Amino acid sequence: MTAAAVRRRAALLAAFLVAWVAGSVLGAGEHETAGANPLFQIEPAHAEFVPTLNSDEPIFVLVIGSDARPDQEVNSQRADSLHIVALNPAAGKATVVGIPRDSYVPIPDYGMNKINAALAMGGPELVVRTIEELTGITMDYWAITGFDGFRAMVDQIDGLVVDVPFALNDAAAQAFFEPGVQRLDGDNALALARDRHDLPAGDFGRSENQGLLMVSALAQLRKEFTQDPSRLLDWLGAFTRNAQTTVPLDELVNLAFTGTAIIHKRVVNIVLPGGSGSTGTLSVVQLDQAVLQAISTDLADDGLLKKGNIPPSPNAPLLESE
Amino acid sequence: MHDLIDRSSPPKSTANRVQRASTKKRRKPLALFVLPIVLVVLGVGLLLFMGGGTDAIPIIGDVGPDDSVPAFDFKTKKAVGIATVAGFDKEALEASAVRVGVEITPAIDELFTNAFLDPSNWREGDYEEVFEAFAPISVASAQRSVEAITLGTTAGDLFEDVEPDKGSLEYRVLFDEEGNPETAVVRYRFYATAERKDGTYLGIVSHGQLFLSDIDGWRITAFDFIRADREAEPPVTTGATGASGGTATSGASGSS
Repeated sequence: MTAAAVRRRAALLAAFLVAWVAGSVLGAGEHETAGANPLFQIEPAHAEFVPTLNSDEPIFVLVIGSDARPDQEVNSQRADSLHIVALNPAAGKATVVGIPRDSYVPIPDYGMNKINAALAMGGPELVVRTIEELTGITMDYWAITGFDGFRAMVDQIDGLVVDVPFALNDAAAQAFFEPGVQRLDGDNALALARDRHDLPAGDFGRSENQGLLMVSALAQLRKEFTQDPSRLLDWLGAFTRNAQTTVPLDELVNLAFTGTAIIHKRVVNIVLPGGSGSTGTLSVVQLDQAVLQAISTDLADDGLLKKGNIPPSPNAPLLESE
Repeated sequence: MHDLIDRSSPPKSTANRVQRASTKKRRKPLALFVLPIVLVVLGVGLLLFMGGGTDAIPIIGDVGPDDSVPAFDFKTKKAVGIATVAGFDKEALEASAVRVGVEITPAIDELFTNAFLDPSNWREGDYEEVFEAFAPISVASAQRSVEAITLGTTAGDLFEDVEPDKGSLEYRVLFDEEGNPETAVVRYRFYATAERKDGTYLGIVSHGQLFLSDIDGWRITAFDFIRADREAEPPVTTGATGASGGTATSGASGSS
């Protein structure tokens, strides 16, 4: 190889080296520029919006459980389960007030009678009028279901998870439960709602357990909605197919959204206290008028109860023994 | 460079005319000095071009960034109707749910195209069109969540290109007692690949659920957007590009 050829090769080699180095340096410079920018952060991001109602005004719904058996019209039987459900959307709290079915009260246009008779006398509207006159609280809506409807409702949401507070054993209601958290199908949820013979306060305790089922449903709705928001539609469908209500569907959707924002531990579940008595041949409950007045006035204000107005649980003896 | 050449053959004496002529002839390879410069320019240009730096593009030619919007359509996998009255006709309900899905899907396609794929949106970090999909009750919250709902307001600084991969929808529709749709929930999954300016790739993953009501057209009333992006390998160039959303009518435009 001649000296000239060596020089040419050296020059070519040098040229490639220079190109390589220069390109690499400048190329690295470009990477550096890009790298100097904050690269996209890989971390989970979450954006959520639930259109809950936020009014300070409480919403009152009268929930009626008719004792209509299969093939009976729910609106023309007795109302064996009566609860005022008061929602305070702004506070994210609620109150469930059970009214003993045997409460002896004035029924508009019908005189004194057991409150559960109002349903057969004049349908849900008369029950609403009766309770509005009793408490002075205007009901915004009512909802009613019967045995079949309640059972189907529970089955169509794949069961209701309830923390049964104490053992129950009532053959008449087919209610046989050990205490603890359990998922109840429609039959068992209905059994728990009907159980009263083994409760020390009878119908008072039963009414509280019915409230417990409502609070449990609220807790479950919230949990399922958090895991899968579309479950809300399943709940709405199950409710509307198996109950009658004056809540318009769009408002029901809003209420359901609002319900998902209420923590079940912030729901007070009480039963109006009273004493058992009789009038003629009727075995009745005489409501404690002073307590009724205090609770009604307190509840009407914001749908919530002050601690001093919360009566003792009718199931207290059983709760204390557990 | 000169040093290398000069050191290899230092002149020993003053050259005469012949020698100069001879030297001149021998120095003809000095043209090689030009070669490194050309190679440097080519090398730098090539590296910048392959690196994807937008600054390099004008050097090579007046080719601006590709602002064409990749075509993308979600594939609807399922539509379920939920009745609010007992004794409903199940088949009719399902058919109605499918129809509602067909009505809503273009709005969802548009939402995700505006939020992730339209370069004129993400390059500028301006997503005004996205919020037209939201109902008045939810739009303010959506605007506050722009970073999770869209590619992000700084996406133009970070990304060179975004191409859709696939997307699926599942509908659940609640009908009123007259059979009109009251509320629809769509569960969505959206996948795209974004090429960073440094040449690496990010897999864009968005999934969640949207509640919609017919308010002068289907609008989002409640939402749950979840982003779970992840590092991605460079896409394999097999010739098949663009959306694989099943109902996509055309492939996505190629990357710049």
